[in-house]
This record gives sequence, structure tokens and C-alpha cells, in this order.
Amino acid sequence: MMGRPATRDEKYVAWALWALAFVALWLTESAVGYTRDESVYFAAAEGYASWFRQLFHSPAKALTDAAIVRAWDYNHEHPALMKTLFGLSHLLFHDTLGWMRSATAFRLPAFALAAMVPALSFLFGSALYGRTAGLFAAFAFMLVPRQYFNAELACFDLPVAALWLLVVYCFWRALEDTRWGVACGVAFGLALATKHNALFLPFVLTPFALWRAWTASESAPEARGWLLRFVGVFSAVAVFYGLLVLSLGGGEGFQQKFLLLSPHTLLFVSLAAGGAWTLKGMEKVSAPVTRALVPVAAMAVLGPVIFYLHWPYLWHQPVDRTAWYLAFHAKHNHYAWFYLGTLLREPPFPLSYVVVKTALTVPTSLFAPMVTGFVALAARVVLGQLERTRAWVRPPTMAEALVGVNAVTSILIISHPQVPHFGGVKHWFPSMVFLGLLAGQAVSRGCAALVERLKERWPSLPGVAVVTGVFALLLAPALVYSARVFPYGTAAYSELAGGAAGAATLGMQRQFWSSHVTGVLPWINEHAKPGARLFLHEVHGGSFRDYQRNGMLRPDLRAVGSPFDADIVAYQYHQEFREYEFQTWQAFGTRTPATGLYLDETPQVVVYVRPESR
Amino acid sequence: MRSPSTARALPLLELGGLLLVALLALLFHLRLPGKLPSEASYRAVAERLQAEARPGDAVLLFPWWAERARLFLPPSLPVYGYLGSDRDDLSAHPRVWVLGQPELPRSDEDAFLASFLPERRAVGTATHEGPLSLALYENGRHRPRRFDAADLVSRARVYLESDDGARQPCPFDGTAHRCPGPGNVYVAREWHEILYEPRRCLWMPAPGGARRLVAEFDGVPGDVGLRLEGGIIFEYAFPRDAQLTPAVLGVDDAASGARLMEVAIAPGQEGVKKSEVHLPPGEARTVKVWVRSQNPDRRAVCLDVLAVEPAVGVKG
Repeated sequence: MMGRPATRDEKYVAWALWALAFVALWLTESAVGYTRDESVYFAAAEGYASWFRQLFHSPAKALTDAAIVRAWDYNHEHPALMKTLFGLSHLLFHDTLGWMRSATAFRLPAFALAAMVPALSFLFGSALYGRTAGLFAAFAFMLVPRQYFNAELACFDLPVAALWLLVVYCFWRALEDTRWGVACGVAFGLALATKHNALFLPFVLTPFALWRAWTASESAPEARGWLLRFVGVFSAVAVFYGLLVLSLGGGEGFQQKFLLLSPHTLLFVSLAAGGAWTLKGMEKVSAPVTRALVPVAAMAVLGPVIFYLHWPYLWHQPVDRTAWYLAFHAKHNHYAWFYLGTLLREPPFPLSYVVVKTALTVPTSLFAPMVTGFVALAARVVLGQLERTRAWVRPPTMAEALVGVNAVTSILIISHPQVPHFGGVKHWFPSMVFLGLLAGQAVSRGCAALVERLKERWPSLPGVAVVTGVFALLLAPALVYSARVFPYGTAAYSELAGGAAGAATLGMQRQFWSSHVTGVLPWINEHAKPGARLFLHEVHGGSFRDYQRNGMLRPDLRAVGSPFDADIVAYQYHQEFREYEFQTWQAFGTRTPATGLYLDETPQVVVYVRPESR
Repeated sequence: MRSPSTARALPLLELGGLLLVALLALLFHLRLPGKLPSEASYRAVAERLQAEARPGDAVLLFPWWAERARLFLPPSLPVYGYLGSDRDDLSAHPRVWVLGQPELPRSDEDAFLASFLPERRAVGTATHEGPLSLALYENGRHRPRRFDAADLVSRARVYLESDDGARQPCPFDGTAHRCPGPGNVYVAREWHEILYEPRRCLWMPAPGGARRLVAEFDGVPGDVGLRLEGGIIFEYAFPRDAQLTPAVLGVDDAASGARLMEVAIAPGQEGVKKSEVHLPPGEARTVKVWVRSQNPDRRAVCLDVLAVEPAVGVKG
């Protein structure tokens, strides 16, 4: 496995793809409602930005723990990189320059990160499988409606998928250039600062680094010696940390005694120093082995450092607050989730959930090449192990294995029956990026074979015409499907599901996150009496404020917390929340809605008006 | 050794398969709009129902979730469509109109009819308005109602009854019989969800401890089936926490004190629990409908007490 730099043309195409995705997201975002989480992040981002103002005006005061907690305590269950970017973007583009509406300014950094996915997919795919594959992977990712929808949001799921891809890309490039190894560490730090999914990255990448280092040092005993020392340093530090935990009476004792000057810190410094020492020694005897291991050392050292530095909330109490953050996600709530006719409320969840949900949501014309791409890779792995079949196949390269492993990692993690299963498909987006690459490879090999066959008959046939035709046919259904369901991304179901209607019959979650309320806001604005009381079911109080702030909801309308207090109710269809619709029948004395948002007949948001308010 | 021709054919075969899938997907999207009803189709169906439906009729939706019809159908006509409504006896209704959309993706009309058809008979032939189908059925599962406690709730006598028989009255305020203590302890007819099913039932939450919340109803006729149907509403049925206790609901004969029916709903038990006894012929009687649970937490009961005749069955 060797990295390879992008050519100048590839860089141009990658930038073009980035720009295309960024502009597309920007142009279409105004139709996308504010998800429950997003309005929390908007509020957090504004708070964080206000702290930066304070830092500018009175730095000494801003750097106290009291000032930091005041600004950064809100939504400290997630790291702050993206929210900080959202806040600074809002401060600059909305508050200061007034160039755009509030929500767009918050979302702009998310577009920039999300647009990295097609660009990096192209670069990575081109290098591994050719430009056809890279290009298909780039389009395939953005034409999955749920992925495009999430890319519009000031949330973390697309950014962490982009950064996951960046880390892997840097890791792969580091095999030909040490500087990319350092970049890998920086990218990993940024990924950690985005969302906790990134914590799994070292476990995915380290085996590849060791594999590469081991094979590269096969005929270099001195390099092998340094490799073993490198592993020894990391293992020793891990063992000492383990002993420290045991000697301090478990995790709580370990946490309490973790101070700036403590064995804990000493061990981390030892790891950094030991890692640097072994890499220095290795560099003199084997560049390939060094290049393989630099990303591991960089991730181990730069990851925690960047994570700490990016988040002011950790500056005065890094250990306790990091521990709280990790514990929050280790014990995350389970939300009710409708799946194949059953309301899932608690673990164990079905093992097949992630695969089934992916199959039922990704456009089938994109899902199919993902499957054949992955199956072909897996078949090569299996056939390559058997003596009888070994000659039939080209064994997968380490780079192909890297793509394959990353394609299944997030899927396997979320498939665990004890892991929370809410949130649609967003929690395994990092896998989807790599499945897109495998889809690209499948399409690319098909195109190559087709071109070859056609050229036997029509030698002057341009290959690009064939590829364009194949792309058009494969991407057209996804484009139609995306356009049809936009901006109601959490209701997107594929052709395999039978669309939204088929999915409703299958008993799948109709929607979630409340953003589809935008489908009825124009009607409410037109028909609500002045000062009407509105119960927007499932819509976060912050979102109500944001709809008004962004001109999507009349400012005179007032939010209330129950159908009984409301003049108008917009009920969001959730299987677990049926009681709210029936409470509305009770409160309003009618079962007849006034209007609603129905996607392919499926009720998404149903609006009732109190009869005397009409 | 795999032959070179196979090696060349496989990617072509794979691409051919992928293109076929894409074509089918495209076809799906092109055909879908034709399977979706227009407002005009709904209005035509609504007009027919307005003209032909009789008092007591109901509309059942197929598929169960296709509730857009509610926007258009006459408000006087009860519309049923919930997860599980295919199997609903709809015993209050002698006739049922099935408003179907059999052309929708994954609509399985055969499966629907397998649940719906037993003890029912089509009256006339189905009509079609665009992709909507409307068919009238005689409901052999109809059980004429001679008494419905929920209809008479304003005339009930409601009280909290202790172990020793002491009573604390829950006076009627025009909408509900409100008991002393927590604000949710009252008796009224309300819409609630029991395992996705909308029911307009008697809200009778358990008051806690050994006390029972009791509603006394006069005028229950003899020689009928006396039926108790009830359950825990909303999300409160699902939890199985150790501190939760069963909700017990029952019906006693007020005069003799005899227990006519009793149903226990353990924590974690979802759905409507049902019990029925046959009352002997004779004078109309007074019954005590009651609910209790040691721990009132999440024991939010909604129930119906009905006096019903046997199912009418299908004629012919």
C-alpha cells in the first residue's frame, strides 16, 4: 500500500466538486427546517461566539473558569469545534456583515465540511480505482437524500464523516510523505473535536500502520528493532495506565488523581517523548516504516492535545469534564424508534437494523453498486485465502482493505444490539463514504469492460460517452428521488422500500427531528388569527424562535406546550406520540384536520385548528 | 483457473445488473405519481359517502396509515386507521366502508382482506375514483349496544372508596367528576391512545394505595353481554420498572356486591384488555366500575363498559 499525491487535474476536479457541493447546499438550505438538535447548536454557537467577543474585549475575565462555564456549559455533551465555527460564522456573516439570514450563517461551516466529502472521495477514489470511480463516489454520496439533508444542517454527523474520511486519506497519503502523517494527527484531533465517533479511528487505523510497518521491515532487522521499540513504548504506556487505574481503585480514583503534575500526565509525556525517540531512530534506518508509524504517534499525541485546546470548557477542569462527556455518550438514552412494525424502546435491538435501514433508504441504484463493490472485495479476500481459488483473483491491496474496513466499521459499531438505534442513518455516515468508494469501483470496472467491448466494434467511440451514459442512468433515479423528497430528508425511503408509502406499510419510522414542520408553516402563517397560540408538536422551543427569527413563522404567533392551550396544533406523526394527536381531538372536539404535510400520502405533519379559531 | 472470458464477462454482467436496477428504480419513480390520489378523487369519494352513508356507518382505511382522507371525509363519519385497525371488529358499526389504495407500493390487499373479511360481506361492488377504491361491507361483527357507560358518565356517581368502604365523593363539574387530591384523578370521557388505537373511553386513573376510584352507573339491562375493555394509555404501559404495580379494573354488581369482572394489567402489558360476562335476564341493574393500583405512577387507565348483544353475523 502506497499513498499517491493527487495530480493537478485531480485537484482541480476536487475543488470543483467541493465548490459544486458547497453552492448546491447553500442554494437549497433555506427550505430545510431546523431539527431539534440544530436549534440547540444554534443557541450554543451564539453563546460560544459571545465568549469570543468577551475574549477580544477583556481577555483576563474571559479566561476565568466562571466566564468559560457561563458561555460553554450549554450543550457540553458535544465537543465545540463545529459549534464554534457555526458561532463565528454567524458573528461574521450575520451579526457583523449582515450578508445572510441567521440560519444560513450558522450552517455555512457545515456546508464547507460536508462539501469535503465529494472532493475527498474523488481524490481518494481516483488514486485507488481511477477517476471514474472517484467521480461516481463523489456524486453517489451527495445524491443519497438523507445524506444531502444532513449536509444542510448545522450538526456534526456530516462533518465527522468528512473528517473521518480526511483522517483516512491523510493516513494513506502518509505512506508516501511523512508530513501527511502529522496532518493525520491534526485531522484526527479535529475529528475528535467534532464528534465522539472519531474515538474509534485509532482502532481502525493502527492495525494497518503496524501491518505496513511489519511488512516494510521484513528485510530490515534494524528497522524491525525500532518498530518493536515503538510498539514497546505504546504498550508500556498502556500497561502503566492500566496499573495506575488498578492502583487508584478504578476509574473514579484515576480520574480524581489526574492532575497537571501527576503520573497520568507523566505517562502521556513519556508516550510523546518515547514515540518521538523511536521514530527518530527509525527514520535513520527505514523511511517506509517511519512513514507507516508517524500517523499513529501523531494521532496519539496531537489528538488529545487538539481536543483539549479546542474546547475552553476543558481548560480549567480537563479531566472531570472530559470524563463526564465520555460517560454521557457511554450511557446515552434510548429513544423510541419504529422499525418494521415494532416500536423499539430498549435494547437489545435487531442485529440487522443498520443493514436493513441502509437498504431501505439509500437509492437502490446507488445501494446496488455499494453491495456489489463490497461483495467483490470480500470475495477477493475469501478466494485469495483458498489454495484452489487463489489464482482466480488479485488479492486486495492494503489500501483496498483500508477502504473495506472503514466501510463496515461504523455499521458494525451501530449494529451492536446495545447501542442506541435512533437517528435514522446518520450515525453510520462514515461508513457510507467508503461504501460510496466501493460503489465507484464497481461502476468503474463495469464501465471499463463495457468500453473495451464496445471499442471492439466501434474503435473511435469515446470512453467518456459510455461513462456519461452509465452515470446518467445510475444517478438519475437518485436525483429524481432526491428532488421528490427534498427538503423532508428524514422521510426518505428508497425504491426498495417502495418510497415513503411502502415504508409506512412496512412500519418504518415516518420521520423524526421535527424539521418537516416547514411544510405547514406557510399555511399557518396565512390562516392563523393574530396572536394565535401554536402547539408545534416535537418542535424544540429554540426552533420555534428560529423559525420566527428567520422569517418562516409570523412573529405574533405564540408557542404553547399542549394542545389544550392551543388554537392551532401541528402534530408530527410518530408512532410513539399518537396520544398527542388524540389529545388534540379531545381539546378541539374534532377529528378532522385543517391541512397537513403528506408525502406520497403518508401523514408527516397534521394540522388541526380549534373550531372557534377558524 | 478462471477463464479470461469469465474475467471479462463478470464486470459486464455486474454493470448490466446495476443498470437494470437503475431502470427499475426509474420506472418506480415514473409510475408512482399515477398511484397517488388527487384531491378531486378524495372529494368524489367524500361526496358519495355524504350521499350514501347512514348513521352508524364507519370508514376503515386501507392501508391503515393513509389518513389524508380525514381532510376530505364528512366529519360525522367515524374514520378508523391505526396500526392494527385491519383486525378491528368495529363492533359499534353495522356497516363499514373500506376506503382503499391498493395500488400504493407494498399495499397488500390480500393480507388486508384476510384480516378484514371474516364475518363481513360486501354490499354491491366497489367503486373507484382514480386510485381510490370504496367498498361497502355489512359488518357481521357488529354487536348492537344497549348500554355504554361513557355515554352516561355525566349521570354517574363517582367517588374514591377506601378499604373500609368509606367514600370521598368526586363531584361533577360539568365536564368531569373531579376527586380530591392529585389533579389527574377524575372521571371523564376522553380521547386517548391505547397501543396506537384511538379510543374515546372513560378516563379512570388508579388513585393509589388500597383505594379504588369508583363510578356507579344505573340502568344496565339484563340478558346482554357486559363487557369491560381497558388499558394503560400512551407510553405508560410499556415500562416494567420494579416499583410499578398492576392496575386492576373491575365491575361489581352494586346491589349484591358480587364481582362481575376483573382485569389486571401488569406493568409492561400493552393494549386493550377485555373481559365479558353474560348478565341474566331481569331488571336493569346498577354497576360499580372501579380501578385501583397500589402505586398510581403511570397507571393511567382508560376503559369502556358496554352492554352488548351477540354479534349480528352476516345475512345470507
